[in-house]
Order: sequence, then C-alpha cells, then structure tokens
Amino acid sequence: MTNPIELQYQVEQFYFHEAELLDNRQYLEWLKLLDPDIQYVLPSRINAQVENRLRGSQSMIAVDAELEDKDSEGCPLREENIAHLTVRADRAYKVNSWAEHPPPRTRRLISNVRIKADNQGLLTCRNNFLLHYCRPGSRNFVYSGERQDCLSFNSDTINIRRRRIILDYADVNYPTVGLFF
Amino acid sequence: MNVTLSHLVNDDASLISRRCWTDPQVYALEKKGIFARSWLYLAHESQLPEPGDFVQAYMCETPIIVARGMDRAIHASINSCTHRGLPVCRSDHGNTKRFICPYHNWSYSVEGQLMTIPQERELQHQPDKTQLGLKAVPRLDNYQGMIFGSFDESIESLDEYLGDMKFYLDAFFERFDGGIEIMGSPHRWLIDANWKLPMENQLGDVNHGPYLHAAVIPPEANEEILRCGYSAVPKAGHGATFRLMDESTPWEQLAWGMEGMGGILGGTEVQEYLRETQAKAVERVGPIRARMKGLTYGIYPNLSFLWSNTSFKVSHPRGPDKVEYWSWAAVPADAPAAVKRVLRTNYSSFFGPGGILEQEDSESWMQQYLGANIDFAEDRPFYYGLGLHDEIKPDPDLPGAVSITANEHYARAFFTRWRKQLEAVA
Repeated sequence: MTNPIELQYQVEQFYFHEAELLDNRQYLEWLKLLDPDIQYVLPSRINAQVENRLRGSQSMIAVDAELEDKDSEGCPLREENIAHLTVRADRAYKVNSWAEHPPPRTRRLISNVRIKADNQGLLTCRNNFLLHYCRPGSRNFVYSGERQDCLSFNSDTINIRRRRIILDYADVNYPTVGLFF
Repeated sequence: MNVTLSHLVNDDASLISRRCWTDPQVYALEKKGIFARSWLYLAHESQLPEPGDFVQAYMCETPIIVARGMDRAIHASINSCTHRGLPVCRSDHGNTKRFICPYHNWSYSVEGQLMTIPQERELQHQPDKTQLGLKAVPRLDNYQGMIFGSFDESIESLDEYLGDMKFYLDAFFERFDGGIEIMGSPHRWLIDANWKLPMENQLGDVNHGPYLHAAVIPPEANEEILRCGYSAVPKAGHGATFRLMDESTPWEQLAWGMEGMGGILGGTEVQEYLRETQAKAVERVGPIRARMKGLTYGIYPNLSFLWSNTSFKVSHPRGPDKVEYWSWAAVPADAPAAVKRVLRTNYSSFFGPGGILEQEDSESWMQQYLGANIDFAEDRPFYYGLGLHDEIKPDPDLPGAVSITANEHYARAFFTRWRKQLEAVA
C-alpha cells in the first residue's frame, strides 16, 4: 500500500507531465501514456427536463441527468478508443490538417486532483481543468470541465485506462471539442 | 432597401457577391423571402412516440415546440408566451401535460392552447383564452418521418416541394424495414459563419474533400468519387451526391454504414447487420438505387442529410455572421440497441463538434465569413462558374440534372432560387 500523500504526489506529477506534453504538442509522446484498451468518452450535455416528482431531492439537479453518455440511447460527442486517438494525434503532424495549421496555442491548468479509490493497481481519480485555446486569426476560447479517470498504476508507470470528460458548456460555443482534454 | 439582387447574384449565378454572406439587409430579406416561405425541418417522428412528448426546434431564429398532442397528432407552436414573450419550454426534450411560463405562470397545453391565467380569478372580466394560445405553425407535413413546418399558409405541399428529391431520399430511407430513428438531442454548435455555407457544403460540394480533408480521407475514397461520383439537382435548391457502384462491387465496399468508424471498428455483429441490410436493398429500393452509395444531400433552404456518416443537420441562422448548426445521429430503427450505439459513431467520430473531419469544415466556414467581410473587393465576387458551359445530359435512371461532382451546378441552382425568392420581397 502506497503512502496516500506519496500517491497523491505521484498522480499530480503524472497529470502535470501529461499537460506539459499536450501543451508542447508532443502528441505521440502523449499517446504512450494511454492504455491500449483506453475508453475515451465525452458525453453530450443537454438541457434536461426537470422531473416534478424529484423536487426537493439531490437527483433533481444531478449533473448525470444532463449527460448523454456511452450507455445511453442518446449520442455522446465523442466515444473513442486508441484507434480514434491515434488518428487525431497523427493528424497534427500533417501540413494539411487545416483547422490547426498554424497550430493552436493551448495551456492546460489541472487542479483539484482527487483520488477516489485504489483498487489493486487501478486508481479512480477526478480532476478539474481549464484549457485556454486559440488559433491564429480567431478568438480565444476557454474550456472548463472535469476529467473522470481510471489510471492503471504500477510502481514506475501510470497509464490512462478510461477517461470521461464532463465539459461545462450550455451550447457548444467552441471551434471544436475534438481536442485532447 | 438598398439591395439590388442582380448585383448580388448575376443571371447565370456564376458570380456571387460577398455581401450575400455578410450584409444585414440581405439577411433581413432572407428571413422574409426564404424562411417565411419555405418548408423548414423541425424534427423526426421517432423523437415523439407518445402523447405529451416534445422537442425544441427553430425556424430561422424563432424557437418552436414540436409535440405529440393528446390527440396523437403532431403540433408545432412558437415557444413564446402570449403574455410577456418568455419561452414556456426550457428543456431540449421531454414529456409533459403543460408548458408553464415562469414569469406569471400562464400555462399551455402541449397542443399550444392557453389553459390557465392565474391572475384572472382576481378580475371582473376574464380574457378570451381561446384567442391567446401559443402561435401555431400554420402548415405541418411529413415525409419519411421527417416533420417540416412552414409559416406560409399557401405554400405547395411538401410532396411537391421535395419533387424528385424523394427519389434520392427513398434510396436511403426505404432500405430499412422500420425506417430510421434519431438518437438523443441534437449537438448544437455555434460557429462564426453564415448559414448558407454549411448548407452549400452538403448540397453538392464534395470537391473540397481531397484537399481540405486530405489529412484524414484516404486517396482511394476520392478516386472512387472521381470514378463513379455524381451530383444530382432534382430541383433547384435541393441536391444529392452519391456514388453509383459497379454491379460487381463486393458488399463491404457497397453497403451503407461500412465507411464510418463504427462500421470499420464495430466488429462482426455490426458488420453482419450492415451486410444483411445491403442484401435486402435490391428488393426494397430497386437495382439502380441498391448500387447507390450516398454522400451528402441538401434540402432547400437549410436541411442537410449526410448519408455516409448518417446524420441530419440543420443550419439555423443567428444573424449573417453566426450559425447554430444542429446535428443528430440517425440509425435504423430496427437495429439491435448495441448496433445502434456503434452506428451513431459513424456520425460522431467524423462529424459534429467533436468530429475529426468537420473541424476542418467549420474552420473553412469561419474563414470564408472573414473573407466575405473584407473591404475594397466589391468588384471581385466569388466565382461559382465551374462547369457553367459543360453539357449536362439527362440520365435515363436518375432524375434531375445529373453531373460529375466537379460541376458547381448545384450551387448555381441554389443561388438562382435564392435570388428569385429575395427579388419577390425586395
């Protein structure tokens, strides 16, 4: 059993390293942080009907009620595996990926890292992010959200096994949500 | 108004002024001449199976509630309280008996009738509630489950409006025993672009594919379009692009759904479903249309249907400089639930706000708006003349004007109709 303070430190350092790779556009290096069986999901966020019978309860205002997720009959914005993410990473190195050439400038702030459960080498973690994004000739955008991760944890390596991204948007007022969050 | 339409679109529609995309006066005319007088897509029947079910929609910038009434009929009402104008419906979809205005609690039935005015019991004279319901969309019609509305009471039937576009729509919709259904709420994407360019992009412009999308689309896909791709204009303003494959094409290269990431990565259950669907195609849509492998469709003025990555899309204007682009995943209604969940990724992997392909399109649409909005270039309109003098011969099997895809006849037909409709109200 790892010391919880040490574990918190290791996980935070992992996230800072991941953000550094992405902001430095080292996408192929970033891919190496992923478990080959990664599930990467960005649920769609809707304006859900408030159910009258739930009034007064926590469920009435639950975030999950606003999400069209992987197992729903709705349509998540993204539900991807290593193949999708590899296509996205490779695209960045091509001169004709026009939306991002010249490349966008990004800066990721990762905070509020919470380790929820430690189950025999699998860590359930949540963390918050702010992502500044701008393309030359365009406006600046800030993405705000939470990442709900499952990390596979060995003594010297951490890999991302699952990532679920909760974006705090009402309407998608961004040029893309196809980024690496 | 200071708008001369022949200065915006020349007689053969080969020259399109930059002002068509940017001028607020032109946009005002578009509302009056086009959005007030066309059939506009509202919703799909599969979203409203039960009485009380509703979804939100827009007709241009006007918010609409589409609902199945207690009479089981479809109703469409403007989502604005007769008292002070607030929206009375605030969720994307759901099921209800009443829409209630938050301001003073006026309540409306799902059919749009005003049911209660809480303040009226204090008054000596009560208003006539039968005259104060939500404004109804005067005309509603349906084709293959697609519900359209029009503000023009005297508009032709939807059947006439679509004309031979139905031949191409049926080539897709008739393939499935149970029709299609929509999965979930639309993805609503705000883009700093004019509404017409996303529409034009799907109406017939597959010509940008080999260039704008070269980072992702393999050259073989483009060679296939060059070899057997067509751009059909069944009626000015509508368009269909597709490939007409050889009779010897193996099913994997022919079947709907096999081109998307869901079809490619989905595994045997999904691929078996797609194979079986293609096997029934000759019987269901006939030998010619069974060989059709569709690309993009457009229905005037602002509905697109993406066959290859199955999605409905509506380009809702928000002024000349912004569009609220809605897109939905569509799947066959009779597919197993697990297959539907995979097939929706045929849409979402490549299209919509998270799509790997459409991020290139939306960037182009934004940059086109910037290019249209510059000064000192009024004498350099956009060139829409590709194929203007090429002959288009009638095709015995395919209705409408059917051309190779490089011919921009689809866009000239759109702008010819657009000019005529604006001239009628200018």
